[in-house]
Amino acid sequence: MISGVPIILFAPIVAGIIAWVLDVRGVREILGLVGAVIPVAYLIKMYPTVAGGGSVTYGFTLGSFSMNFAVNTMTWYFAIIGAVLGLAMALGMVSTAKSGYNWLFALMSFTAVLGVFTAQDFVSFFLFWELMTFASFMMVLKYNRHASLKYFILSVIGAYSMLLAIALIYARTGALDFATISKMFAHDAQLTGLSTMGYKTTLIFSRTDMILLFTFFLTAFGVKAAAFPLHVWAPDAYSETDPSYTTFFSGALSKAGVYGIFYVLLMMMGAKLYFSLGTFHGHPLFLYILAWIGAVTVVVASFLAVLQEDLRKLLAYSSVGQVGYILLAIGTGTALGFSGALFHVLSHAIFKGLFWLVTAAVILRTGKTKFEDFGGLAEKMPITFAMGLVAVLSLAGIPPMAGFASKWLIYEAAIGAHMPLVAGAIFLGSALAFAYVVRFLYSLWFGQRPSNLDDVKEAPVPLLVGMGILGILNIVFGIAPGLVVEYINKLFGRPVITGNYYKLITPTGTYNALSVTLVLIVGIVIAGLLYVYGANARKVTVTDTYQSGNPVTEDYNLSIRRNFYRPLAEALDFWLKYSWDRFYERLGRLLEDFADVLRKSFYNGNVQSYSWYLAIILLILALWGVL
Amino acid sequence: MNFDVKLVLEVIGMLLYATFMGFIFMGIERKVMARIQRRVGPPLYQPLIDTLKLLGKRSSVTHGFVYDFGPIFALGASITALLFLPLANFQLFSNNADLIVVAYLLEVPMLGIMLGAMSSGNPYSALGVQRGLLTMVAMQLPYGLAIIAIVQHWGTFKLGEIVALQQVQGWSILVPALLLAMIVFDIVFQAMIGLEPFDIITAPAEISMGPMVEYGGKQAAILFTQHAVQLFAETAFFAILFLGGASNLLELLIKQIAVLFVAIFVASIYPRFTIDQAAKFFWKWPTIIGIIAVLLTV
Repeated sequence: MISGVPIILFAPIVAGIIAWVLDVRGVREILGLVGAVIPVAYLIKMYPTVAGGGSVTYGFTLGSFSMNFAVNTMTWYFAIIGAVLGLAMALGMVSTAKSGYNWLFALMSFTAVLGVFTAQDFVSFFLFWELMTFASFMMVLKYNRHASLKYFILSVIGAYSMLLAIALIYARTGALDFATISKMFAHDAQLTGLSTMGYKTTLIFSRTDMILLFTFFLTAFGVKAAAFPLHVWAPDAYSETDPSYTTFFSGALSKAGVYGIFYVLLMMMGAKLYFSLGTFHGHPLFLYILAWIGAVTVVVASFLAVLQEDLRKLLAYSSVGQVGYILLAIGTGTALGFSGALFHVLSHAIFKGLFWLVTAAVILRTGKTKFEDFGGLAEKMPITFAMGLVAVLSLAGIPPMAGFASKWLIYEAAIGAHMPLVAGAIFLGSALAFAYVVRFLYSLWFGQRPSNLDDVKEAPVPLLVGMGILGILNIVFGIAPGLVVEYINKLFGRPVITGNYYKLITPTGTYNALSVTLVLIVGIVIAGLLYVYGANARKVTVTDTYQSGNPVTEDYNLSIRRNFYRPLAEALDFWLKYSWDRFYERLGRLLEDFADVLRKSFYNGNVQSYSWYLAIILLILALWGVL
Repeated sequence: MNFDVKLVLEVIGMLLYATFMGFIFMGIERKVMARIQRRVGPPLYQPLIDTLKLLGKRSSVTHGFVYDFGPIFALGASITALLFLPLANFQLFSNNADLIVVAYLLEVPMLGIMLGAMSSGNPYSALGVQRGLLTMVAMQLPYGLAIIAIVQHWGTFKLGEIVALQQVQGWSILVPALLLAMIVFDIVFQAMIGLEPFDIITAPAEISMGPMVEYGGKQAAILFTQHAVQLFAETAFFAILFLGGASNLLELLIKQIAVLFVAIFVASIYPRFTIDQAAKFFWKWPTIIGIIAVLLTV
């Protein structure tokens, strides 16, 4: 019997290829949707199997390599998140994609992400990883060459790091499949534990090996997850592509990096890294580093998000920051932290996916991206606005939304793990999140509407359906966070967080989402009664406001559109002088100039100098003893 | 959740009490400020009758649904925050949510007010929103550090347990590290209840009450009520975290008023910071003291 895994894996890419070949308007949209629905449907069908602890596997051989995939309890979680976002992306692309090219590469990266999540050996993991990079690179290349090249260069650095790490593992163990390697690492970890107690043992991996592996993998996954200071590609690449595609790009593709860190660094070699690298103030050193990378990512990216002047850039920086939360939560090194990280993978995917779909709708209808060109759209696109508000509440972590439940777990984990400064970064990050979502709300939806936006229409239906799916998920998982937590507990094989569907109980805290919801509703009803009791209100126009006795005509737009958070920029002027992005750009230019100098001085077209090079090289070889 | 008549009565009673006391707190604020400035000042119940007058206004204006929903949402969220606090011998819903949830719920009303304020086209509102959020960004780091110090010392997030532990082992402020945390929290508290030197949001002399500028009539009445409930909840939050909570409402009231008086005294001495000054201030001394506090409690 065919296992379903190959259908999940290859349905999107096959649909993408057909859509690209035919490239008929109407047909390619239907194909794309079908290709995106199939993985979701099959994954839901597999739920009873994986929830019971079983797995569905699939393998084939390619040349001398055997490639294996499995949907099990762990991989299903990531795969379903990717698949739901893929579906949302496809719904968005029905409205925004203009060519078969977009469908081909968007669906190709869909397949690639599912492949990365379900791979069971390093060969398939790496191949799909590269396919993912390639497909997303092509999506950016079409829109902006510079952004795509920046993304590509950093991805190549990441890919080489991963290749080196895989080669090192292969050299030491002779294995490439995850199961064998995991076993060897676990065994080696025990031996390392013994050797620290004074027993004489022969280890497979030395301490240096582990440091190298950690650095290489962290670079590889850090690039994809856009962790500081490798985040510089993300703001450009996320914004310079089809915004419907960014739903998937920032929601699911960045999670491939998180998945790598979680699966390879933690589950596969966590114990070994712990014994080899030791601890720092009671925290495993490698996790402590990760926690700080996460904390710095949260703070830096959130500050930069607040100061952006472009809608897409703001959301892109915010995505970087939110992935920082996930890294930070993994870095706490407790089961509670891992649960928080996994939950935040889900909630970030659904609220940021929603944000990008809203953005896609707004950009589609207005054709503008800068905050200064927007305003007063809430009246024109009420449903999109409502969905945007759900996304805002979820991202800002307002109970009872999915974003709050996962953030709550991360708070509890970080403070409970006695990482006070890292936890302080979350507090700062969440205030910054408040600030940038309000920027999003104010500039797009409220205030005076520029006259050229007067005939903007509501978003098209497929986009609204996509938004609706993600919006409902935000509310459902917010009110019943136990649904997610129950599944996460299965991954650990024990109840890390107890409670029921509505109530989360950790050893030190409780959060009952349902009672918060109900009390909030009661509170709003009481306030609403006060409102109803008052006199009827008369509706006035947006410009009919208190102006110190100086009525202003419609010609003046009094909404603050530019430099909304200028005082913050002033307070931060010292720090804003430094930028990793500019540093890399300068480094790139230096290298380019250097290469130019080399080229000009060596390839000068003079036959005589070429014969000299030949002579020198022969001389060197002769001295070396080759000749 | 079973329907619990006693709980419902407690909730209704507490809401009425908290709203009333909140208005009295606002009155105390004005009266004490006036006495310090050698004025007579309005009677204590002035804010209450002001609000009733506003509510009784014959006409009011609106800029649309969100404009009305903002204040309603803010008041709803303040009520929610209040009901999740263990107030003296009334536990209310405090077993269902812990410190982090309450700390968040106390910030939600701000978002509601901002939401409403933004939907009017008034530039003063927009400025007020901007200033409010930047104050929040500035104060959040020291605020977080103070809360982290509390949790690390007592080893729990549950407010009920924090109170119980303090009643056995003495108030938080008797612990040196938590005394530092209290100092930090008190500075931040000034910004939380919108008093000088951090009344940057409303700044009556600069931006005519900021986010509230457009509101009149019943919406303003709702906002006043919201402020009253919020003031009660925040002073109670302070007393719970640092002053050992309370075993009856009178004890709680004394502690709340003590907290309020300190805030008023500070407010009547210092002039207002500008926003970048506030940010730089918050990220300097309060943060440094906060870091010392959290490192002492690790």
